[in-house]
Amino acid sequence: MAETFPINVWINEERYAKLQEAGLAHLCQEMLAGLKVLRVPTTAEQRDELLKRYPMAKFDSATTKSIELLPRAVKDQIFDLIVEKKTVDVIGEFLKRQG
Amino acid sequence: MSEIGHGGKPIVERILDPATAKEKIRGLKQMPVREQIAVEVIDIAYGFFSPLEGFMKKADVESVCKKMRLTDGTVWSIPIVFDISDQELSDYGIKEGDSLLLTYKDAPIAIFEIEEIFTYNKQEMAKDVYGTTEEKHPGVKRTYQYKDKFLGGKITMVSKPIINEPFTPFFLTPLEMRKKIKEKGWVRTVAHQTRNVPHTGHEWLMKGAWLSAYGELPVEKMLVGVVVNAIIGEKRPGDYIDEAIVLCHDMLRKAGYFREDVHLTSISLWDMRYAGPREAVFHAALRANLGITHHMFGRDHAGVGTYYDPYDAHRIFDQFSEKDLNIRPIRVLEWWYCPVCAEVTYMGLCGHKDKVQNFSGTLIRSIIQDGVKPPRLIFRPEVFDLILECAEKYGQGDAFVTQKYLENRNPVFTFPKL
Repeated sequence: MAETFPINVWINEERYAKLQEAGLAHLCQEMLAGLKVLRVPTTAEQRDELLKRYPMAKFDSATTKSIELLPRAVKDQIFDLIVEKKTVDVIGEFLKRQG
Repeated sequence: MSEIGHGGKPIVERILDPATAKEKIRGLKQMPVREQIAVEVIDIAYGFFSPLEGFMKKADVESVCKKMRLTDGTVWSIPIVFDISDQELSDYGIKEGDSLLLTYKDAPIAIFEIEEIFTYNKQEMAKDVYGTTEEKHPGVKRTYQYKDKFLGGKITMVSKPIINEPFTPFFLTPLEMRKKIKEKGWVRTVAHQTRNVPHTGHEWLMKGAWLSAYGELPVEKMLVGVVVNAIIGEKRPGDYIDEAIVLCHDMLRKAGYFREDVHLTSISLWDMRYAGPREAVFHAALRANLGITHHMFGRDHAGVGTYYDPYDAHRIFDQFSEKDLNIRPIRVLEWWYCPVCAEVTYMGLCGHKDKVQNFSGTLIRSIIQDGVKPPRLIFRPEVFDLILECAEKYGQGDAFVTQKYLENRNPVFTFPKL
């Protein structure tokens, strides 16, 4: 995955514990005053597909360079898939499961 | 003694008492208006738009567009117009010299004395006011949506609007706000324009502006107040819901992040035009009418996209004298979180520019959307909890405007049927 267009999944204590169990806690970055975030990569095609399926979301090309404002339920599903698959490269699988 | 508003003119409420109103509206032709117009009728009648007494006539529109002044020389930056189609003119048989009774949702709201029917080139209006003719600019889009003719003339409200909960206590007319400021004993006030729920970056913008405004005044009793003036008007999907904006700002005081004696939350009814620098001038006039003495302007005030330089809304004030605007602009840079300073700090002070973490509006929205509680240095916990509460109570589960919210929300104001 050369160029990625990340989705920021924000990590609270509960999510952090799950990531620790999955051995993925080290992938978290600190972004705002210690608030942890997991940056989930997508390809350009996956980004476009996500934006098509969830029109309220947007790719913020000006400041964050990330896909933002996906519905909470979608991000919950992405997070659960990360824990299940023990990897952050899950968007292909996520889109497949969503049909 | 009269209260002097923007342009040095006394603030006059253009509102009839109920008995006179009943008498005056008898037999008048009625014409329904949309919410955009009803909002501006309220603003004109209460004096939020003082010295305007009604919707602008062509000479004022032209003067505002070309010179940023009314024909009498008063600084004014955004045309306040009443648009109408040829079909409506013919259906209602409207001609110059007529008086119309405007209605909103079947309730009478105001008498409109038609002094002039005119046309105006909308592209030219857009270019002059917004600096662009691109329809993707929301202000330009609104301009292009105007019908082809305009009516100019005086407005007199025949019935006061009811401001519905939870906004009721936050709506203060210019005369009420001036009275409130006097009661609080504030000799200076600083306006904070907002359409966001406040994170600590906003909180510090207000605190910094308060310190700037305080200056040389004695400190035994607090003599300066922050007046949060939330703009309540047309919403776009993805905006914060109005209820969350107002209640969360008020929570900053309730939870003690501002003392009771230095902070007041209020609202003004206005559809944002996103006119950047010109909108900043308009906001200054609006708050001057509220009796506020200082106005804080941050980065990219009232801007949208990349149409304006982030500090155009600062520089525009260079062309006005103190006589032009009886409100003083306070120009501020950004507040950000610096991991080295380990605090929210000011761009004009912090020397760790390469390490700072900006309060990106998009990131903050993303965090709220995820429902993940941020550190208290970023969001006060009381504010964050209240956002989620407002989402449930007013936003059908969402803190941001959705189609469902727009369809089901309790209206901000209603007019009683006479």
